[in-house]
Formats: sequence, C-alpha cells, structure tokens
Amino acid sequence: MSLAAMTIEEIQRGLAAKEITAVALVKAVFERIKEVEPQVQGYITLCEKEALTQAEAIDKKIEMSVPLGKLAGVPIALKDNICTDGIKTTCGSKMLADFVPPYDATVVKRLKDADAIIIGKVNMDEFAMGSSTENSAFKATKNPWDLSRVPGGSSGGSAAVVAADMSVLALGSDTGGSIRQPAAFCGVVGLKPTYGLISRFGLIAFASSLDQIGPLTKTVYDSAVALEVLQGKDPMDSTSKAPQEINYVEGIKDGVKGMKIGVPREFFQKGLDPEIAASIQKSIEAYRSLGAIVEETTLPITEEGLSAYYIISSAEASSNLARFDGLRYGYRPEDFEKVEELMEKSRTDAFGEEVKRRIMLGTYALSSGYYDAYYNRAQRLRRKIREEFKTIFEKYDLILSPTTPALPFLCGEKSDNPLEMYLEDIYTININLAELPALAMPCGFSSTGLPIGLQIIGPHFSEGKILKAAYALEKDLNIVGKRPQWKEEA
Amino acid sequence: MKLDKEEVKYIARLAKLSFTEDKAERLAEEFTQILSHFQAIDKIDLSDISLELPLDEVKTVLRPDEAKIFENKEKLFKNTKAMRDTYIQVPKIIE
Repeated sequence: MSLAAMTIEEIQRGLAAKEITAVALVKAVFERIKEVEPQVQGYITLCEKEALTQAEAIDKKIEMSVPLGKLAGVPIALKDNICTDGIKTTCGSKMLADFVPPYDATVVKRLKDADAIIIGKVNMDEFAMGSSTENSAFKATKNPWDLSRVPGGSSGGSAAVVAADMSVLALGSDTGGSIRQPAAFCGVVGLKPTYGLISRFGLIAFASSLDQIGPLTKTVYDSAVALEVLQGKDPMDSTSKAPQEINYVEGIKDGVKGMKIGVPREFFQKGLDPEIAASIQKSIEAYRSLGAIVEETTLPITEEGLSAYYIISSAEASSNLARFDGLRYGYRPEDFEKVEELMEKSRTDAFGEEVKRRIMLGTYALSSGYYDAYYNRAQRLRRKIREEFKTIFEKYDLILSPTTPALPFLCGEKSDNPLEMYLEDIYTININLAELPALAMPCGFSSTGLPIGLQIIGPHFSEGKILKAAYALEKDLNIVGKRPQWKEEA
Repeated sequence: MKLDKEEVKYIARLAKLSFTEDKAERLAEEFTQILSHFQAIDKIDLSDISLELPLDEVKTVLRPDEAKIFENKEKLFKNTKAMRDTYIQVPKIIE
C-alpha cells in the first residue's frame, strides 16, 4: 500500500513505532498528486516546499522525543475559503484570485498546533455556492470514482482529494450540505458539526447563521480525531459555544446496542434513487443486527425547508458579500471614473453567475415590501423545523437518512438549471436550519460502482453519539479501503 | 409571483451589479420560477411561531472589547490595489 493511502489512525501508529517518517509520507502524497491531479483537478494552490520543511521539523521532533500533536505528520488540504496566513485564499472566485490573508483562521491555527502539515488549498464552488464544484472561477474538479461526473459541492475539492489519496484529511464548510453531499458523491466521511462547535473565525462568510467548518476523512475514526483538534470556544467567534472539549475517540467503539434510531418516511418518497434506498435499507438491517432499535418515524416538513434555506442563505450572502467593493482588496477593474462605477464594475466583472444570482435573490428578499413575505416567513419556518427536530429527538437518539436523492451526476448535467441544482440539497438543508450535527458516510456502491452516502443526524452537540453509531456501521459494512479505480474520461 | 425585467434592474442597482438586457430578461424568468417554488412555505401553518422569543439555548459569547494593534502593516495592506502613503486610494467621492 502506498503511504498516501494511509489513514490518520495508521499514521499515528506508524510514526509512534518509527515505521514511517513524516517526510516519506509528504513525499508520497506529492507523488500521488503528480500522478492523478491532472485528471481530478482538486487543488488550487499547492505548498510542496513548505510542507516538506514542516515534515522535516516533525521528524526532528520525533527523533528528539519531543511530545507530538494529535495530527502529527498528517497531510491536510484546506477548502479555499479558509484563511491561511501568507497562502493565497481565493474562495474559488475571480474576486479574490490574488488575495493573500494576513492571518490564519482559528481552525488553521489549531491544525498547525496539532502538528498537521498543509499540502495545499482545494477547489470549491465560488463563495461555497453550488453543489457540483463547477461554479469555481478556476477549474471544475472531477469525481475520482468516475471522471465524467461531478464530485459534489461546494466542498468538492476537499472530498475529491481525500478520495483520490491526495490528502489524508481535508477541511470543508457546510452551509446547506456542502460537506456531506460531496462526501457522499466521493465515498468519504464528512462531518458537519453542531453550529458553534468549531470556530468560524477566518472562514470567508457565505451565510453566517448556517456556515460551519468540518472534516472530510477516509474513516469515521479519523473524523473523531480531527474533531477533537478542531472543536472549542473561540473569543474571536461570538457564535462559538462548545459546552466543553470532548474526547471523541474514547468510547467510539462502544457500539449501538439499545440505541434508538428513527428513519423519517418523508426522506424515502419520490425522487429518491432506488439503489440508494436499497443501500440505506441494508444499513438499517445492519443496525438492527448490531442491537439498535430502528423505527420508521415522521418529519413532516422536508421539502419546504429548501425554500426557507434559499431565502435565508441568499439574504445573508447578499449582505456578507457587500464587502467586496473593489476598494480595499480584491478585484479592481482597469478603468473607472466614479466610485459607484468602480464598485459596480468590480462586482459585475469578478462575481460568477451563481454568486450574482444569489446576491440578487437575497437583495430582493430583503427589499422593502418583500421582507415579511419572504425573509420573515422563512425565519418562522426555520423555528418550526427546529421544534420538529426537538420533538423527534425526545423519542430517538439519532435519525438515519440518505445524504442525497441521486447518485453523482454528469459534469454539466445541471449547470443550466439552478432550481434542479438546489434540489440536490433536499436531505441536508434542514439540518443546517436547525443547527444540528450530521455525518455523511459511504454505505455501499451502485451497480455502476458509484459511492452511496448515508446520513446520521443527532441533537445539538451529540457528535460523540453520531460518531459511535457511524463507527459501528462502518465496521459492520466493511467497505473502508475500497478506493476509486481510474476510469478515463468519456 | 411574477418578476419583470425592470424589477430585476432595480434590484441590480441596489446590489451594485449590472446586467445586459438579455441577462436581465433571463434572470426575471429564473426568479419567477424560483420564487414560485418558495411559495411552498405558504402551505405550512406558522401562526403559532413567534420570532420575538429568543431561543433558550442560544447565548452570545462575549469578550472584552479591547483594541489591539495589528503589528505587520505591510502584510495587512498587501492586498490593496492602490495606495498613497498610508492611505488606500479611491476615486473622488464628493464633487
């Protein structure tokens, strides 16, 4: 097995036993990148020199028996909307094509303190708006399982580089499903934690009341290790409210005996691919055989959440993206006379289609005369959804559902139909509206060899329970280690 | 809910964006379609939901409001396109 294919768990063991070195690991990852990146197109920026220097420092630490961080030597990739001191952070946009942040996001600081090694910054839908990573201003990332298909989005680069062994861990951000949907499409584990568990300081905002950073990994165990490093209150983010720092690895192997799991019937209605439904059904059987109590239940508001989400997220985006005016940083056109012209030209030239569409939608929803009809109603619905989940979690420990209604779609298939693209997020969106944690993990493969994703949802700050349940299923299904077979583009 | 081209242009002005006639026309059509989907919310009774009451579990995390000096000015202004001395240069705002 190539070193690039290792998991965090294996790296921790390998380094401790001195069977591998951080330098060898980083070199193996860059070799892999040279081999498959031309086809996958996952990275926007690579930091080979810096990564090797850092790996050498870690090997030295090991040699001198200096205590190591939890992610010592682990190659990581960061979604390009997470600020990195001195490393270009583009947000997948022409607007920030040359933007170099003067500081690190809190999560980046935490990863560095844990001795992780930054390999590079990965591709995404511009400003995290999209479900296919086709909205990037720079390139379209491909799905490593089938290069003619999309990797999902908006954290498509994050999911693709982990699936293709071009990184061991990647960070993504999830506003309506942007970690979980690409995780499902690429057959990796993606966790969207409870809103407030991880600091968003240094994450370029899309919709501040919904955005949350989370890890994408090869295994559930790795997700738990990453979460331990990422979690925690941050004075720089007034919405970070982690009650206490938790050890997620401890107890991950406890099993699901006696756990009550609800399966909402609304998630299995029209529009769900039959192969996905069958695969979820198999996982339900697996949980039963492991001693969990799985019952059918109901979550009446499903599809309507999508409308509330697009109103709220677009409204927040229109306000968050007002800062990009061409004055202080970001794209500035060649000629302009008045300041109004400078602002309008820089925004019109540098924002992509989808970003403009959402700014327009948000501005409309917030404009005089429509505020009550759209924004206010959407906020009320959001509260209702929250209450609905609160009620269901009085009865169940966790909820199980598919992650996406369909298998990874073809590149270009949905680019001309925004509404159809929005429907991609139908199973993931309400979780953001309710600020809940949810994990997407592979639970099987279609007849055509494409990964199928399952979603486990829990009450606020129940990441420990979610990881426990996911770990038990992953072991039972025994699908870890299955990697994409390289199929040439059609 | 039907949106016309003129409304699209008005919203564009508010958002500091501009669109060609064709594009504004297309956006009007797309928005009409998207907004009609948004009417799904009307199917749900929300009369019992109040936005006045704060959610009990939501608390704002506060910190002392202390001014800090960002030492590395060069790094801070690295992304600025036009500067004169220590000022960011912009077009004349007041005639």
